[in-house]
Amino acid sequence: MLKINYVDKHFEKVTALQNINLSIEKGEFFGLLGPNGAGKTTLMNLIVGYLTPDSGSISFQGELVASDNLNVRKKIGFVPQDISLFQEITAYQNLKIFGKLYELDNKDLSKKIDEVLELVRLNERKHDIVKEFSGGMKRRLNLAASLLHDPPILLCDEPTVGVDPQSRNAIFDMLYNLNQNGKTIVYTTHYMEEAERLCSRLAIIDNGNIIAKGTLVDLINLMEQKETIRIQKTAATQSKIESLNLIGTVNEYDFYYELIPNDSFNQHSKIFKMLEENGIPNQFIQIGRANLEDVFLNLTGRSLRD
Amino acid sequence: MKTVYNLIIKDLIRLKNDKPALLLSFIVPMALIIIFGNIFGGGGPRGRVAMILVNESNSPVAKLIESKLDTVKSLYVIKTFLSDDRKDTFKIDEQKAIELIKSGKSSAAALIMPKDFFTDTSTALKFKFYFDPKNDIESALIQGTIQQTIMSHAPRLFPVLITRQSLKFIGQDSTAKFISGFGKLIGEFFNVPIDSVIKSMTIVDSASLYSTSLNTASSANVISNLVKFENEQLVGKEVQNPGLTRTVGGWAIMFLLFSLTGAATSLFEEKQEGTLKRLLCMPVSRAHILWSKYIYSMLFGIFQLLVLFFFSWIIFNVEMFSNFLNLLIMITVSAAAAVSFGMLITSFAKSMNQAAGISTLFILTMSAVGGSWFPTSLLPDWMQTISKVTLTYWSVDGFLQVLWRQAPFSAIALNVLVLLTISLLINLYALVRFNNNKTL
Repeated sequence: MLKINYVDKHFEKVTALQNINLSIEKGEFFGLLGPNGAGKTTLMNLIVGYLTPDSGSISFQGELVASDNLNVRKKIGFVPQDISLFQEITAYQNLKIFGKLYELDNKDLSKKIDEVLELVRLNERKHDIVKEFSGGMKRRLNLAASLLHDPPILLCDEPTVGVDPQSRNAIFDMLYNLNQNGKTIVYTTHYMEEAERLCSRLAIIDNGNIIAKGTLVDLINLMEQKETIRIQKTAATQSKIESLNLIGTVNEYDFYYELIPNDSFNQHSKIFKMLEENGIPNQFIQIGRANLEDVFLNLTGRSLRD
Repeated sequence: MKTVYNLIIKDLIRLKNDKPALLLSFIVPMALIIIFGNIFGGGGPRGRVAMILVNESNSPVAKLIESKLDTVKSLYVIKTFLSDDRKDTFKIDEQKAIELIKSGKSSAAALIMPKDFFTDTSTALKFKFYFDPKNDIESALIQGTIQQTIMSHAPRLFPVLITRQSLKFIGQDSTAKFISGFGKLIGEFFNVPIDSVIKSMTIVDSASLYSTSLNTASSANVISNLVKFENEQLVGKEVQNPGLTRTVGGWAIMFLLFSLTGAATSLFEEKQEGTLKRLLCMPVSRAHILWSKYIYSMLFGIFQLLVLFFFSWIIFNVEMFSNFLNLLIMITVSAAAAVSFGMLITSFAKSMNQAAGISTLFILTMSAVGGSWFPTSLLPDWMQTISKVTLTYWSVDGFLQVLWRQAPFSAIALNVLVLLTISLLINLYALVRFNNNKTL
């Protein structure tokens, strides 16, 4: 459905994207996970035709995406990272303007506006000025504006930035339902929790390169250790942490240490015993399934939030 | 105190990085000081006001006045005109002078010294003064300069004229008695030979006039009888509100530039609030955005000017309907050029602040130089040359032709052509920059 073939993009001397090669199928909920500045937004801008690749090509449903191909843009819905709404007019007026630009006729447009406002639960506020909306409401309207023309694919560029947990969950539910109803969704985020919760397939992007792609299981399988051992960071554990180098590699994070044991410590009982011998009691230790954060760390040596 | 100092430093650092604020604080006032300084003195040679001079008299007095007017620095005296093929030069006569003033393309005033300007029987100097009071300052300047020249260089003529008037109105005997008595009185009072006083008071022929060395002062009332001006206003006689009719175009174009530049540079606001990007991610091209902004701004500008002129008509009787079609043409091309100017600023500037700073600098400068605030004839010659490359000049001149002169389309054809050319060239350039993503 969406094919990205060996795309490069540079901004003056900065390489934003390099050799990007992706194929996204109909009905997928595809996630682009990477830290800030990794190139996610640039890739979205290329997919929607806002930017032009320096080399390579992007096609959607067999049609080449280019800045002068306006036809292909009619088939794409784009939720920009920033709230892109005319603040001084009402929600209804905003949607009417955008709907007209998608060439919807008046009769269909009114119906469609009501539908999308219902979907984002803003029907009762449709005649209110946008600048009076809360951040979460604006985000929802931002999403609604991209659905007016019922596009087969929806590109969401970090649509939950700065949103309260309640609105974030509401957006997740909406996107989930849209995907369940057959809409293909491409979703960028630097929150691994969002990617894990929503995406059926993922690509991890860093410094303009796709460093891994596949389902969540595929990506976790890239890790030698499928489990992680986390040690709570306290005054008691901090003083002992250096002694753990004998057991394996220790990575330090804001609130915990992560221990990647050597091959010789392949049983939990052995590890717990060693930790206890090194002065770290069990109540500070947590064993869990590896997640995308661990995958990213494993691949880049850095945290997603770095 | 240290905290206050640090806060002052903070403001200085912010100011240093705020280029538009620096531009508005220093460059804009400096530009205006240069312009005003050149007009009101102290800034190099002043501009000259053009005046047609036709001397049909053979009188030496006329020749003297002509030669003196030629040397007045504030006047640019026009005596000839070029043929249509610009090969031959002809002397301007009275009829041609009238024609030139009515056309508004040469000068706003003509001083005619007719054949009977000063004959042996004249009791007053006879001038004809044709004028187009398209601006008060220029007219007053020309008339003041003429009067000053006459008073400064022909005072010796006045006793002769007084004597001739006495002869005409009270007869030869009474005049002789009056001169004898008055001459005796002056001679005794000033202790000068009575005969020479009487002799100088009895000169009546212009030939011997300048062989005497008598100087005479005279009061304004006497002079007004001795210098006869036949004034004729050739243009704008029917205009009900001359003052506003002459200036409304200048102010209108200045506000038009501000509002339409603001409309064009609102693209930066749309960029800032993200809506520009959203539009460009929809089935909308950069050219669509540019043209829609252009057409919207132009329609807004046309509407704004129509409202302004309508308001002036309702409140101040500025006639807008008697030459409405040409007014509409001027409004349209002025709006087109003003929007293009806004587009040019938008295509160059990197931010809304920068656009606001640059546009303020250019709009105020163009308004000052282009004739929105005062006639361009008051500017130094080099500034008058510059003024012709501003769209303000062509717009102000066009509105003046249409409203003041009630001129036909042929009179504004050049203005229309220039404004449309400016608009077209700038738009093409801006379109290329927009399409190549060189801006926004």
